[in-house]
Amino acid sequence: MRTVIAIILSIVAFNCQAQNATEIVRKMDDKMRGKSSQAELAIKTVRPNWSREMLVKTWMKEGHYAMILIQAPAKEKGIVYLKRKKEVWNWIPALERSIKLPPSMMTNSWMGTDFTNDDLVKESSAVDDYNHKIIKDTFIDKRDCYIIEFLPKTNTAVVWGKILVAIDKKDFIELYSEFYDEEGKLINVMIAHDIRMMDGRLIPTHIEMIPVDKKGQKTEIFYKTILFNRNIEDNFFTMERMKQLN
Amino acid sequence: MILKISWRNIWRNKMRSLVIMLSVAIGLFAGIMVLAIYKGMMRSRIKTVIYAEAGHLQIHDTSFKKDYEPIFTIRRGTSIANEIQGYPEIKTVATRSVTMGMLSTTTGSAGIQINGVIPEKEMLVSQLDQKIREGTGFTVNKHHEVLIGKKLANKLKLKTGNKLVLTCTDVSNNIISSAFRVAAIYESDNAPLDEKNVYIRQAELNEMIGTGNEIHEIVIILNKDEALGAAEKKLRDQYKGCLIENWKTISPETDLMVDTVDITSYIIMAIILFALAFGIINTMLMGILERTKEIGMMMALGMNRAKLFILILMETLFLTITGAPVGLLLGWAVTSYYKTHGINWSNKGKEMMSSFGFNTTIYPEFPDEKLAMTILFVVLTAMISCIYPAIKALKLKPVDALRK
Amino acid sequence: MFILKLAWKNLWRNRIRSAITMAAIFFAVLLSVLTSSLKNGIFDNLINNLVSLYSGYIQIHKKGYWDDQLLDNALQTSASTEKKALSNTNVANISARLESFALASTGEITKGCRVIGINPPEENKITLLSSKLVQGKYLGKNDNGILVAEGFLKRVKLHINDTLILLGQGYHGSTAAGKYPIKGVIHFGLADLNDNLIYMPLLLAQDMYGAQNMATGYALSLRRVNELELTAKSIRSALGDEFEVMTWKDMMPDIKQHISTDTQSMLVVQAILYLLISFGIFGTLLMMMAERKYELGMLVAIGMKKSRLAWLLLLESVMTVLLGCIAGIASSIPVVYYFNRYPIRITGDMAKAYEQFGFEAIFPTSLSPSNFISQGFIVLLIGLTLSLYPVYTVWKLNPVEAMKK
Repeated sequence: MRTVIAIILSIVAFNCQAQNATEIVRKMDDKMRGKSSQAELAIKTVRPNWSREMLVKTWMKEGHYAMILIQAPAKEKGIVYLKRKKEVWNWIPALERSIKLPPSMMTNSWMGTDFTNDDLVKESSAVDDYNHKIIKDTFIDKRDCYIIEFLPKTNTAVVWGKILVAIDKKDFIELYSEFYDEEGKLINVMIAHDIRMMDGRLIPTHIEMIPVDKKGQKTEIFYKTILFNRNIEDNFFTMERMKQLN
Repeated sequence: MILKISWRNIWRNKMRSLVIMLSVAIGLFAGIMVLAIYKGMMRSRIKTVIYAEAGHLQIHDTSFKKDYEPIFTIRRGTSIANEIQGYPEIKTVATRSVTMGMLSTTTGSAGIQINGVIPEKEMLVSQLDQKIREGTGFTVNKHHEVLIGKKLANKLKLKTGNKLVLTCTDVSNNIISSAFRVAAIYESDNAPLDEKNVYIRQAELNEMIGTGNEIHEIVIILNKDEALGAAEKKLRDQYKGCLIENWKTISPETDLMVDTVDITSYIIMAIILFALAFGIINTMLMGILERTKEIGMMMALGMNRAKLFILILMETLFLTITGAPVGLLLGWAVTSYYKTHGINWSNKGKEMMSSFGFNTTIYPEFPDEKLAMTILFVVLTAMISCIYPAIKALKLKPVDALRK
Repeated sequence: MFILKLAWKNLWRNRIRSAITMAAIFFAVLLSVLTSSLKNGIFDNLINNLVSLYSGYIQIHKKGYWDDQLLDNALQTSASTEKKALSNTNVANISARLESFALASTGEITKGCRVIGINPPEENKITLLSSKLVQGKYLGKNDNGILVAEGFLKRVKLHINDTLILLGQGYHGSTAAGKYPIKGVIHFGLADLNDNLIYMPLLLAQDMYGAQNMATGYALSLRRVNELELTAKSIRSALGDEFEVMTWKDMMPDIKQHISTDTQSMLVVQAILYLLISFGIFGTLLMMMAERKYELGMLVAIGMKKSRLAWLLLLESVMTVLLGCIAGIASSIPVVYYFNRYPIRITGDMAKAYEQFGFEAIFPTSLSPSNFISQGFIVLLIGLTLSLYPVYTVWKLNPVEAMKK
């Protein structure tokens, strides 16, 4: 009888723990995303023989809507990307035309970065597409962290086999992530630096995405400013507004 | 009377007769071999294109091929497929759902064509199961399995059992993604096609793109290659709203090659007949030269020119008739031997070729449908070629001919 | 020396007989040269047609471009690279290209297409692009317009002189975009090309893609196509490791496969022709020997040594064969040349596939000297081998039997 109780207790404990992990991930997700956000950031693409930096301004809402305005370099200044649900539109001021990106373009890299156009559209969610489990605790830069293992739920459209994420216990900041393929090979590493207070939230302002087996290649994002949960009307994310952003 | 003389003449100089007989035999043999090799080549080429890639005929919606939009399904596609399955000239019918999409893995992505197939049917039209180099193919009770080409697998470093994500747009232009597991890696003779095509179960693709039970492509294999034209016309008349194409339109480069070989072999056939004619002319001419005295004698004894002409013609005819079956038999024997064993031109060349996955062995096939024509040509050539020596003989003056 | 003279005289003694034997050789050479040069000519022509569609015989890229065809793998155009390639005497023309993917948009319709920046006059020497023009004008070097393939134009529902918007990814991640007037419409027989291609002057393409002085590769045309591999090899070593030099065989392995199986089969067909030829020559020799049996028997009977007689006959045959061969090669030259200038032309149903590709259904002969030499040599060998037959007859000759008639 005792053993039965012990088993039941351990199952309950396990469930609590699992929910706990998912809860942590949800908090982490909320932290960076909020209900809406407006940010100015620099994106640096580093390649073995060249590198390139872009300044962009972004508006995002609820994961469905996004607007990205390119401010530099000069040649691309004024280009706007608008994401509405699963569509991406591209406004090019020099041509005075907006173009809907067809599916065939989705595999192409977005503005030459390590992201594809598809990454903009994809709504794969850190919360819903994975099962989470706390596997251990650790310290990163003197911050007490959980290491949470993300395993994709069956039949979700996720390429990864496993993701290990280090999340700050107190502030729920994603500090460090490792992306593995199904055979357990490490593919990408994401490192967060420069944790600072921005608009009342403690967030990493410098994020590095490094493909492990591509030497000398990475993409870096620097947040200059960010505002959370300011009201943005749905009709901000329209093609008319896209043309008037400049 | 003339018949008798000519028959006797044949046996009088056995050597000469044998030479002409053999010329005819070899000429016919050569003709048969050329046609057999050509037919074998056609067959093997058509085999790869028809039975491993395109099928004899394909049916699409008229708009489908312009942009491969999932919305352009064949109207009443499934029922058309069921209807034509009953046609006597049609052997197998398979349906496919087709859409353009992309495949992504942890390390990269590629644009591809996603083919939604019914595995049991697909096996019969494109022998997909036989092209598998790694893995087992679709397994019953397993879901979300994908077959990818070897070239693509190498490029994206995929192995069987790996997971990948397929992305495409559905009928209302929404982007849809779904995860699949590599069930097998296949390889055909056509590497560029392998790189572009992946296969998943039809029901799963239809669910992704929201086409229900609709399909985009019907692939048809006929019972006989020869029935293509008639079958194509019949389907065209029957299903006016659909685009019906044969393998030649689907794979124009194969058609181009077949066409080139076709025409080349006709030209070479003509040259071979010419060579045959020349051999016969030569031998007959020598024969007449040799028999100058005899011919002179016959003319002196009062045989008229017409009769002499017929005599020589008759002789040739007899020789041809005896020679032809020999050539025929020889041709038949050789082709049926090589039909199973194959002509392998050079071992060294083959090794080099097979490392590229190419098949260079030729399997000739007895050209039964062109047999009558070939025999006719060879006999006709023999008859025509004896005319010149006969005329030469007629020009002999009995007096000159006797004096020697 | 005496035998040589005797043999020569013998040839002239029975002129008709010698002429017939010689004619057998003569026609053998003529026919096999014709077959071989037709076979080679037809396939050369086909390859020429196919490579002129698009690829050119040889292409030079930056190492790794072919496996990963990205703009970032483009090479720097330079006069010295071009000079190095052109210094190979077999290279006729060289033309730089900048190829990439782009979206072409009219506003309502957006389709993917392949954009090729070309050096208009040079490109024309390699792919005869201007001959594919069905509407409008060919490009000039500094034009700011584009040529659009007919099928693609239909897909985006535009017409000549309309403006097309191109949008794509430029060099090193920049955005490539531009508005271009459609200056001309080109037609390709192959749907794959006809539905996808857009040509623009190289300078314009470099500007759009932000790839100044860059090209994804060079396309080359050759003077002597049968030296393909050799030329590729020498260019490879001249340019060094930074580049990859590819022949059409590397770039179109499926066509190469088709052609190599076809050539193999044609070799078998040619072997059959040799069989027929050998038999024709043998028949003639057989008849000749039968006819001369009496004469030879007499010679042996009056005391001529068999070995001498054998030499005599051998010399006679060799002379006949040689003369026949020389005459055959000499007269095959104008015949082959004629069929090269005025090739066999096929029309109607037979030529459908050619028409579909937009090729002329002509079947020319190849003028390559190797056809004449190799075929002449093969027939010479056959002839010489068969010349052993008279020697053999003499050896076996029984003078009494031979003179009995």
